[in-house]
Amino acid sequence: MTRSVGIVGGGHTRWGDREATYKDLIQEAGKATFDDVSGVDPGDIEGLFVGSVQPERFAFQTHVAPMVAELLGVSPDSMIARTELACASGQAALRYAWLAIAAGQLDTALVLGVEKMNLPDEHAAEAQSGMTNVMDREFDGVNGLNAPPYFAMVAQRHMHEYGTTREQLAQVSAKNKSHAAHNEFAQFQEEVSVDDVIDSFPLSPPLCLYDCSGITDGAAGLILMSEEKAREVTDEAAWITGSGQACFASNSVNNLPSMSAWPQATTAAEQAYDQAGIDDPVAELDVAEVHDCFSISEIVEYEDLGWVEKGEGGQFVEDGRSALDGDIAVNPRGGLLGCGHPLGATGVSQALEIYNQFRGDVPAERRVPDPETGLIHNLSGSASVHSVMTMARGRP
Amino acid sequence: MSDDRDAVELPDTIELPRLLDFYELQTAEHTGIHEFYERLHEGRLSTTRCSDCGDVQFPPRIVCPECHCDDLEYVDLPGEGELFAFSMLRAGAPLGMEDEVPFVTGIVEVGDVRLSARIDGAEYDDLAIGDPVELKVVEIDGPADHERVFYRFEPR
Repeated sequence: MTRSVGIVGGGHTRWGDREATYKDLIQEAGKATFDDVSGVDPGDIEGLFVGSVQPERFAFQTHVAPMVAELLGVSPDSMIARTELACASGQAALRYAWLAIAAGQLDTALVLGVEKMNLPDEHAAEAQSGMTNVMDREFDGVNGLNAPPYFAMVAQRHMHEYGTTREQLAQVSAKNKSHAAHNEFAQFQEEVSVDDVIDSFPLSPPLCLYDCSGITDGAAGLILMSEEKAREVTDEAAWITGSGQACFASNSVNNLPSMSAWPQATTAAEQAYDQAGIDDPVAELDVAEVHDCFSISEIVEYEDLGWVEKGEGGQFVEDGRSALDGDIAVNPRGGLLGCGHPLGATGVSQALEIYNQFRGDVPAERRVPDPETGLIHNLSGSASVHSVMTMARGRP
Repeated sequence: MSDDRDAVELPDTIELPRLLDFYELQTAEHTGIHEFYERLHEGRLSTTRCSDCGDVQFPPRIVCPECHCDDLEYVDLPGEGELFAFSMLRAGAPLGMEDEVPFVTGIVEVGDVRLSARIDGAEYDDLAIGDPVELKVVEIDGPADHERVFYRFEPR
């Protein structure tokens, strides 16, 4: 790979159960993004990458990338596409924009993630259908296997095999939701205790409602530029230092390598660490936004991103090593658990958070002290795919 | 402009289209793995094995993912297995399953295959990892032009 690529700014809509259409959300995020980056206008955008998972079901709309172009007045003359990789669609869009710029195809790209998931109450089952067909519809979705029971079984197996405790799961949720209490864009802005999590509705045991991310409307955008162009508009960028992905020819339950480990995350992380020159991630990473779609997910990720030995993820949170002042500040944004999870927008928002932490543009209550390196991670579907990107402040 | 506007009539409800009910259409007219469903009609859970390299797949296929041979044969799976993991769907059911919640869903090991399945005839609190379970076949009443079936498991 050739050219350095930087995130030079971005913007966010309020996330939640929004009184807004899919197109409203696109326009809000686009305005916030261009408002954030002085020196970049819609006319500068050569590439547009839109992360969005199910507009066909949630908003009854296809061919959404040109719709984004039209609504925001951008005329991409190099590349335009929507990415669909379930819950990692936002990071997939970001990764393609990075690749296109790094490869010299274009200099300036807009990445926009958007999802409108909340339908009127009487149509909730329609929205849930769009979540239940993420796994193999014919052989897994048909058994009611949408995300909560699926990740509940990951939690059950992890507890069974490694002794992870119910309290440790709740510690993840309490930590992240309490960060979100200080995030004006988050869906859930209330401090939550460990007991609150354990006492919440037992949705899919052993997971309770507060172990789960939300059904969320929201969008977020980023501007990416080649180093040469970025230097013209800003002195502050989040430089993308590494990006990896892995899938082991698996999607349905029988073909996954494990129900309690995600070796694909290890492969993806090793690719990113290698590109970034990271030898010891715990020592070298300052801030991470990892895919806590459920509390158990973050615990498995501590392990399979290579931060602790297998089975010690629960202890990592219990010992405060993922707290704001811990070894790696994990999910200071509030995570999916606190911010909600508008599928295609999540990875975009995570990357924006890393950039905002680098430039100190977050409230003091959830600010990481002087971060220099960051990571974002997303899983998708049955955790069959893992996507990891590393970033650095002040490089190259 | 005339004051009399034409009214556009939309139905209050739209019948659940057959492709939104999660159960695949099962006959040779619709799917290359119809033999899987034909055997299931007879009460046999089966899957495909590559006649060239011997790879056993699940879910059943029409092309071997290991060697891309398209000569696959059906082999029966055991009708008894062990519960590997389980949870419940208490809310958030998709279309067509809203009236069925709460229910137990799980992962069952049958021979060398690990598959997800509904667990009937048991409450969550009564189950444990490793419990013996056995196959049951259910008939699917719904919007299709043929009789459909599917597999579930129940405590043995």
